[in-house]
Amino acid sequence: MSQQVLRIVRPTKIELIRLRRRLRIARRLHKVLKDRLVILTQEFISLIKDALELRRIVHKSLSKCDELLISSLSTTSPRDMEVLADNVYHYVNLVVGSRVVAGVRVPLIEIERKLDNDVLMTKPLNVVSTVKCYYDVIEKVIKLAEIERSIYRVGAEVSRVKRRVNALEYILIPRIENTIKFLEMKFEEREREDKTRLKKVKELLQRRGGFRS
Amino acid sequence: MSLEDEKLLEKYLREELRVVNKSLPVRRKSLKELLKEEYPYVLTRDGGIHMFRRSELRYAYELLGDELAAKLYLPIILEVRTEFSETVVSVSDEVAARLIAKILDMKDYSIPLYIYPKQLSVLRSLIGTLIHYAFVLR
Repeated sequence: MSQQVLRIVRPTKIELIRLRRRLRIARRLHKVLKDRLVILTQEFISLIKDALELRRIVHKSLSKCDELLISSLSTTSPRDMEVLADNVYHYVNLVVGSRVVAGVRVPLIEIERKLDNDVLMTKPLNVVSTVKCYYDVIEKVIKLAEIERSIYRVGAEVSRVKRRVNALEYILIPRIENTIKFLEMKFEEREREDKTRLKKVKELLQRRGGFRS
Repeated sequence: MSLEDEKLLEKYLREELRVVNKSLPVRRKSLKELLKEEYPYVLTRDGGIHMFRRSELRYAYELLGDELAAKLYLPIILEVRTEFSETVVSVSDEVAARLIAKILDMKDYSIPLYIYPKQLSVLRSLIGTLIHYAFVLR
């Protein structure tokens, strides 16, 4: 925490009032930023958890799909599989939009058209399950892309807000508090000096008055 | 620091509030209206759009029913209450509070409904696109 005081031109009461007002504003700003940081951090952590879970699922699903593909290649030629994949995945439409999380714009992707089952009607069962398996993977990969992009955006904002919160918490607010304390001590000291001076004057006046009488 | 710095601090506070509130919706739409749209979204103050996930809209519709769906305006505004020492958000809208209470399985609640960070994570996972934070200085 900063032990420094702010550079003030003149130690006056007006300056003290200004500093108190400034402290109030700084504390309010700190509270707003801290609340925002809490919300963003929570969002960030949950996004990371989702991404890790989804990545694990995607890896698992991909190896399962590869096994299914090998088995389906025993009944279909690679060329037929390619044509089928083209037909099936050609109709996958994505809607890319955005949503806002505590002031941060993050992407939102939705798959518009679902898997067309009519194309698969005449195909062998193992081929159908392979296509469905890869389709599920695609859905998950799209979701993963959305989450990972969101992680970057939210993460960048978390670090930005954190820097500001720390600057307020450890530098600006302590400095203002120290300066207020310094000014208050200065005024007390001045008051004590005044009191002593007045006492001395009174004593002097009394002594003079005594001489006269 | 002088008077100029004080103004700078106030300006910074205003700017920070503007940044967090710039993406508030221009006009909210009812849940029923949004479900009819091909791409459910609302326009935001910064000129962008805030899209809703259709699955979340349907989930809210299932919980509220047809009558209340017309009264629920989205996105639900969660006011971040800066006057408390902890992070607390509140919901003033009655229908939105009812939906949130149902999701969080709260039997007794009052308006405004106060929500704490732990409950927020539940909301985020179930109706993440239907909620929106607003930072209010009191």
